[in-house]
Amino acid sequence: MTEKRMTIFVMAMLLISLALFGCSDSTSSEDEWQLVWHDEFTGSAGQLPDADKWGYDIGTDWGNGQLEYDTDRPENVSLDGNGNLAIVARAESYQGRNYTSARITTRGLFEPTYGRFEARMKMPWGQGIWPAFWLLGANIDSVGWPQCGEIDIMEYRGQEPLFVHGTIHGPGYSGPQAVTRRFSLVNDRFDTGFHTFAIEWRPNEIRWFVDGRLYHTATPADVSGEWVYDHPYYIILNLAVGGSYVGPPNASTVFPQTLLIDWVRVYRAVP
Amino acid sequence: MTAKFLYRLLITVTMVTLVLTTGCERDVDTLSPAPLPTSPEVFLDVFGPDVDYQAFSNSKLDALTIDGVVKHEGSKSMRITVPSVGDPSGWFAGGAFVTGSPRNLSGYNALTFYAKASMVAPLGLAGFGNDNTGTSKFTAWQTDLSLTTVWQKYIIPIPLGQRLQAEQGVFQYSAGADGNGDGYYIWFDEVQFENLGTIAHPRPAISSQTVSAQIGDSVIVDGTIVTFDIAGSEVVVNAAPGYFSFESSDESVATVDADGVIEAVGVGSATITAQLGTVDAAGSVVVTVQGASPGPTAAAPTPTLPAGDVISLFSNAYTDVSVDTWSAAWDVADLADIQIAGDDTKLYTNLSFAGIEFTSSPIDASAMTHFHMDVWTPDPTAAPAAFKIKLVDFGADGAFGGGDDVEHELLLNGSTTPAMATGTWVGLDIPLSDFAGLTTQGHLAQLIISGDPNTVYLDNVYFFTASASTEPSVAAPTPTQSAGEVISLFSNAYTNVTVDTWSAAWDNADVADVQVVGNDTKLYTNLIFAGIEFTSAPIDATSMTHFHMDVWTPDPTASPAVFRMKLVDFGADGGFGGGDDVEHELTFDATTTPALTTGNWIGFDLPLADFTNLTTTGHLAQLIIVADPGPNTVYIDNVYFYGAGGTPTEPSTAAPTPTYPPGDVIALFSDPYTDVTVDTWSATWDNADLVDTVVAGDATKLYTNLVFAGIEFTSQTIDATTMTHFRIDIWTPDSTAAPAAFRVKLVDFGADGGFGGGDDVEHELTFDATTTPALITGNWISFDLPLTDFTNLTTTGHLAQLIIVADPGPNTVYMDNVLFHR
Repeated sequence: MTEKRMTIFVMAMLLISLALFGCSDSTSSEDEWQLVWHDEFTGSAGQLPDADKWGYDIGTDWGNGQLEYDTDRPENVSLDGNGNLAIVARAESYQGRNYTSARITTRGLFEPTYGRFEARMKMPWGQGIWPAFWLLGANIDSVGWPQCGEIDIMEYRGQEPLFVHGTIHGPGYSGPQAVTRRFSLVNDRFDTGFHTFAIEWRPNEIRWFVDGRLYHTATPADVSGEWVYDHPYYIILNLAVGGSYVGPPNASTVFPQTLLIDWVRVYRAVP
Repeated sequence: MTAKFLYRLLITVTMVTLVLTTGCERDVDTLSPAPLPTSPEVFLDVFGPDVDYQAFSNSKLDALTIDGVVKHEGSKSMRITVPSVGDPSGWFAGGAFVTGSPRNLSGYNALTFYAKASMVAPLGLAGFGNDNTGTSKFTAWQTDLSLTTVWQKYIIPIPLGQRLQAEQGVFQYSAGADGNGDGYYIWFDEVQFENLGTIAHPRPAISSQTVSAQIGDSVIVDGTIVTFDIAGSEVVVNAAPGYFSFESSDESVATVDADGVIEAVGVGSATITAQLGTVDAAGSVVVTVQGASPGPTAAAPTPTLPAGDVISLFSNAYTDVSVDTWSAAWDVADLADIQIAGDDTKLYTNLSFAGIEFTSSPIDASAMTHFHMDVWTPDPTAAPAAFKIKLVDFGADGAFGGGDDVEHELLLNGSTTPAMATGTWVGLDIPLSDFAGLTTQGHLAQLIISGDPNTVYLDNVYFFTASASTEPSVAAPTPTQSAGEVISLFSNAYTNVTVDTWSAAWDNADVADVQVVGNDTKLYTNLIFAGIEFTSAPIDATSMTHFHMDVWTPDPTASPAVFRMKLVDFGADGGFGGGDDVEHELTFDATTTPALTTGNWIGFDLPLADFTNLTTTGHLAQLIIVADPGPNTVYIDNVYFYGAGGTPTEPSTAAPTPTYPPGDVIALFSDPYTDVTVDTWSATWDNADLVDTVVAGDATKLYTNLVFAGIEFTSQTIDATTMTHFRIDIWTPDSTAAPAAFRVKLVDFGADGGFGGGDDVEHELTFDATTTPALITGNWISFDLPLTDFTNLTTTGHLAQLIIVADPGPNTVYMDNVLFHR
């Protein structure tokens, strides 16, 4: 080991110590954020997520051509015993589908308007694997999609392990016309370690972060239609297999694939 | 601050931090030994520290030059001149970049470099882990990398970094002329090791194989590769087996070492699996190990023949003659001298044909009768398998060729005599006479074995003569002449006349009374000549026509063996001498009728007329048997005279007339009764000739050429349920001695009254000279058989067939009084 390397190592250790003993908030916001809702996913392995916080969308397709059947079975969604929630996509025949997975939401349980939403997650990988951490307008049943609005805090294609995407879909700018931007890691990838994905959602502004780094901002000026982000939304975490966004898995896709979620935290801005 | 101080500070801070954050303990043993360098550079603008280029054998040695004009970054690159086909300076360009002392590369996960070429061309091979010593264990490489004319970065993942803790092979490449045979240039730049965050998900694999092996065989795990994901793209790297760890499911069957060399060590099946670090590799090698071919566990039986009767080629029991070779240079077989349970044994493997030669001292087996060999094989012996034994005699000249060589080959398998068998010692005792073409046996020089059993154990290979004191296993046939026609000297079948001695004082023989299977027999040993005297009560054989004697000898009967019989008549004076004594001697050998044979009862039926000088037979007083020079051991039985009239050709009297009340009888054929309808007395399907004849006024059926005859009454089956017996009377002029047999079968068609239908039942009874009643020649025999003796004839309500069988005889049968009664 050279002296130069040792010096770097010393500095790294000091930084780690700081991170542990201080409270590092690396967002670039000037607001104070107050934690109002969170799930740390502590519990024993195999346990389903907290029913007071999460419900299940059970079924298939969801309008995107997804191939999996989403269930509420522990095989597809349960705590891993190490402080994470695991959503597991499996290649198995179930309910007429060849894959199973899960999609959990806070619909009817927690539907805030505005706030900082973050999750620390480790991605699965492989062609046709599509995890997402996103918000959907709670009025979807009355006004429909995309009028209800959709905020994708994080979307990821398993075949592109260096990239994630932040997107909003609204009336006149949904699907391929959505307002989106991608973030790329340098000399790293999202499926080999945990990363924190966040948005800060205020009136007339949504900002996207990866590991505290801002990479995308959307305001009413950026959208070609109505700004529909001033009403309650609920949170969705899911792991899709196939679908229009990623295409189907291929022979090299390894199953099962797991989306690990260390925690989900929601903060309210304190002016 | 000195470096040393900083270093100590670092350790302190690190330890404090670790304790505070995790409480984990770690062995911080960083003071010794001196760590290896971890330099990543192979070539940037110059060679990395301690790097040396070593061109491969037969390559263009000067292929590498440093290019100061073309470069990816910095100031220089490496330019490789790939020779065209036929370039005298080398067949290809290639070499290894080797460090003078090892580097610790375990902190990296890829070798990377930039490359381009003067035209689109493949780079045949690129990789690392080859230190050009031929002993590298951690080589990793890719093949056929596509180069273009613009700089591109190439990434070769390290299969498992922890293996590269002391590596000297930091880069290697090789490239040949393109498809047109043209040479070109390749440039390399920024060749170095890196730790790339974009490489993930190693998926190791080995080639799946199913291997059959024998103990001691080695098989290598191959196809060892690792597939990585690099930024979403699948990249495969070939990895030497040394990167993997291997495991056998059963170490007692197959072991596997760190380099993937599997060794079969025991019988059974084992599965070899691999891991790369902690990741299970796809694929497995299933090894099924057979033992060496199974062999005999016990030695061949030890021979018991006296040494004097044996010429042994190979046996622990005897002194062997000289054998030049047990596997001649010209043969196709592998020979091993082994011991089985302490007994020397020859083991032939991969036997196509094996030449066993004793040409330098040919064997004179002319006094021998048999060839013996004990054989054990694990291989199939059922036909079409064929184990062949050839004996070669070089003839009187004692040498190969010369026009007098003879030979004969026998083919043996599981169904020949003698028979081969698998997995057991087979003692082959083959009469030399079976080697029919081996017309001389005085200069035997070769034994050649060949054929299908490819693995053969041999022991106790010898010639022997069957003079061993064996004895008959069966008694002499029981005579069938009627007692009234016989004057018997010695037979259990008759009342014997007085014989004064069976071995006169003046003779040269030993005699003993023995029993052979319960039958009294005379045994002569050391026989030269024996005098049998009945002088005190001479025999009047004038009404007799024949003299009979049964003889058995274990001795060789081939020439010069002879057996003589002399009858002496003392003439009218009844005393020896007196001028009226007459005698005649008959001589028999292997060529006469009857012929002398070894090991068989020989029945001498000699017309007295053949004793031509025996002009009187009214006072027979001596029988002299002579065996000079042999056979010296002779068993004798059934010595008698008999009359020629003993075997009439037809009955002189009718069969006895039955006396059952008519109401107690169902007659098929019997004069006193009314017969039921019989469809035929000789069915079309039978094998017999039938005539209706009359014997002494009584209607009788006469079957000739009888093998089997079908008597059918199917159109009106017989209900014999109220009857208790079946009777049939027969008379035959034929011999009724074994193997003659007469069989009676009754068939009932069951309730359906028809053939078949699943309810047919039948039973056959067999009669011969020893049963009750017994077959007798020239007498009416009345078979009055309880129906209960026909045990399988479980129903008798629809009797439909009577079948008589006489195979191999008697073939002429008179028949009468065929009836059921109670």
